[in-house]
Amino acid sequence: MSLTIHPEAILRELSELWVSLGKEADQDYPSGVLRACTMTLLAVVEESEDTSDVWSVIAALMPEHPSRAIVIRFRQQAGRELSARVFSQCWMPFGYRRQICCEQIEITASDASLPDLPAVIVPLAVSDLPVILWCRGTRLLGLPDFPLLARIAHKLVLDSSAFPDPADILNRLNAHSRSGQVLGDLAWTRLTRWRELVSQIFENRDYVARLPGVAQVRVGFGGDRPPTSAYYLAAWLLDCLEHSGAKAHVSWEPAPDASPGQLARIELIGANGDGSRASIAVAADGERQCAQVQVDSLSSMRLFPPDNDYVLLREELSIPGRDPVYERTLTQAARLASGRKSKP
Amino acid sequence: MSLENPFQDPLRFERRIPECAVVIFGANGDLTKRKLLPALYRLAYERRLSPEFAVLGISRSPMSDSEFRDRMCSSVSEYLEDSPFDKEVWEGFAQSLYYMSGDVMDPGTFSTLASRLKEIEEQRHTSSNVLFYLSTQPSHYEPAAKGIGEAGLGTGKGWRRIVVEKPFGRDLASAWALSDKLHEVFRESDVYRIDHYLGKETVQNILAFRFGNGIFEPLWNRRYVNSVQITAAESIGVEGRGAYYQEAGALRDMIQNHLLQIMATIAMEPSATFQPDAVRDERAKLLRSIRIMKPSEVLENSVAGQYGPARIGGADVAGFRQEPGVDAESQTNTYAAVTFLVDNWRWAGVPFYIRTGKRLPKRVTEIAIQFNSAPHAVFGDNGDGTTPNLLILRIQPEEGISLRFLSKRPGAGMKLRPVSMDFNYGSSFGERSPTAYETLLLDAMVGDATLYTRQDMVEASWAVVEPIMQVWDQNKFDFSNYPAGTWGPKAADEMLARRGHAWRKP
Repeated sequence: MSLTIHPEAILRELSELWVSLGKEADQDYPSGVLRACTMTLLAVVEESEDTSDVWSVIAALMPEHPSRAIVIRFRQQAGRELSARVFSQCWMPFGYRRQICCEQIEITASDASLPDLPAVIVPLAVSDLPVILWCRGTRLLGLPDFPLLARIAHKLVLDSSAFPDPADILNRLNAHSRSGQVLGDLAWTRLTRWRELVSQIFENRDYVARLPGVAQVRVGFGGDRPPTSAYYLAAWLLDCLEHSGAKAHVSWEPAPDASPGQLARIELIGANGDGSRASIAVAADGERQCAQVQVDSLSSMRLFPPDNDYVLLREELSIPGRDPVYERTLTQAARLASGRKSKP
Repeated sequence: MSLENPFQDPLRFERRIPECAVVIFGANGDLTKRKLLPALYRLAYERRLSPEFAVLGISRSPMSDSEFRDRMCSSVSEYLEDSPFDKEVWEGFAQSLYYMSGDVMDPGTFSTLASRLKEIEEQRHTSSNVLFYLSTQPSHYEPAAKGIGEAGLGTGKGWRRIVVEKPFGRDLASAWALSDKLHEVFRESDVYRIDHYLGKETVQNILAFRFGNGIFEPLWNRRYVNSVQITAAESIGVEGRGAYYQEAGALRDMIQNHLLQIMATIAMEPSATFQPDAVRDERAKLLRSIRIMKPSEVLENSVAGQYGPARIGGADVAGFRQEPGVDAESQTNTYAAVTFLVDNWRWAGVPFYIRTGKRLPKRVTEIAIQFNSAPHAVFGDNGDGTTPNLLILRIQPEEGISLRFLSKRPGAGMKLRPVSMDFNYGSSFGERSPTAYETLLLDAMVGDATLYTRQDMVEASWAVVEPIMQVWDQNKFDFSNYPAGTWGPKAADEMLARRGHAWRKP
């Protein structure tokens, strides 16, 4: 393994790869190879992690978000060390004559070489297209030089639910966001289906008219303290309710049947005597999640799609720019989490 | 106090359908089974439907709600396209399905309909929003609209809309008469005339392609465009619908509606906004700009065809006149090709060639825009240097866009060859595209009429097509004039050759 890498050499290898794919394609697929690219997707992982999982997520994303993918594996090591390999991934969509290919680069780096990485990544990033940084390790976000890498990216995507202290990570993210970093948090992405259901309930004008009377928001969660997703959802609900003139407060309610870190239920309750109530309760049903929606006496059941990394990233990659609803919610969620933490 | 939903997040949420009941006339028919219910189920699967949603099917066959649900379950699982059938989702969705038997010619049907709708509204909280869908034979459109009006169902506490399937009349006079009848009950803004071609992703993408990019629109005019060809070819014959087709024909069935709408989408001016009426105003304006042929110009600029028997792939294929239910002397056109000209500054002198037919070599719908050749042949006669640039917008089967341009052949010397740069929706974006009926039903329930045809558009299309129909009706053609499995009559090639063009072979 070499101790350093040269972006020009990687680009040359990529170019040779395309030529050889073209030659193969001439023989096997007379219509040639179609090279598609909408972004540079940069994934940073711990070296100990099995990168085949990461590559399989990236492969699944390629048809909808074709990109130049760069995976950086970090090794906890003091010496400066970098190495790289280049390959491509092609697929033949069913029923089509042309195969689609995307470029993939894998870099192995020691922690100490993190400051050297921007000089490698910048020339490797596809020009004029966004760079999305997907950070998979909780430790990596804490590396002192991580901001050097984050600065290259148009958007930083991570999963705050993997961090042990919700208040701490929400406040850190809020600070990043306030400094101008565009963020995507998969813990927030997981809530899209929940939020969509809430919104769907209030497409009904009769129910919207009752919103100013909502006095309480109950959030049920597994474990002994609310996860980041519970703070996000409560913050979003409070913010939206405030827009409709409601002054509601949040009640946190542990749900014994739910696994730690899971959201189990939300409920909007009208002021005393009003009797209005809308709730969504989600329970696992094998590999799927069933959401029971109850508004007054009317109930219905919805299935939530699976929320694996592929599904969540697919949604985040569709929003390369700022998400004002998320940013507003993040500020409020950080405040809620800090407020709860400071209580004895 | 604002009644806006504060929980909306358009960046992440799909468009939602408000609470409503959909009343389908002709609930036991093919369209309901093959297209409407699978599309509604799919919207339920995608969590687009409101929990306060209901479907009330009406047809003459006596059936209980539960029998209707069972029957629709079989249809949905059979006709669902590119999508899994999920039993649990179906069970939730099936609870919103209701049925009543009734004949649209019987006024009693509509009083029963009124009371069933009231019950459903109480059970499902549909807020009195009702979408009536006429999935019946065209002769039932007027009695259905009249019955709805007389039962007082055309207005209510919520919105009331009506969806009408083509044909919108058989000619200009009958189109007017139908619109008048519909307008006795519904305002024009609540009449949704469905043209499923406009719901196709690629047709919508024409708007994105033209008006979302800055590089194509400057070329989109008579200065750079030499001609436009729109082809809608079907490889199948009339498939047992000979009796119906005999009354319609290719010109009425395809060109008057689908293909003129596509032409309008290709050639319209950019609208100031993407609001339904702004887009439809531009489409209508273009349709009104199409030159109406004088009787003496019709045979020069149009070709009628009818397929004859042939052997395809080792099997004998019947000609149209040999199809069951078809008159042995039938003058029905199973093929129609027309040269249209647009009388406006943008398109003056550019021919728009439209052709459609049954039993052509393959099923393909595409638009080919041929640009002018380079003004001076710098490279002389080196290879294929005279090939003009071509932009192909494919609608089916492989939706996508291709651009043909010239490139140097590798090696010494300067020889050129055409290359094609392809963009396939299916392979570039792996996501499943919604079917046209999913898109259009969702739009009707949301109240977005952008992709629906307005009365003035229907009238403008009939005004263009009627003179051709009249001349064709007065002529006795020597049919059949093309064998099944070929690209149509020779006269169609000659029509283009007179302007120095040739049909593409897609």
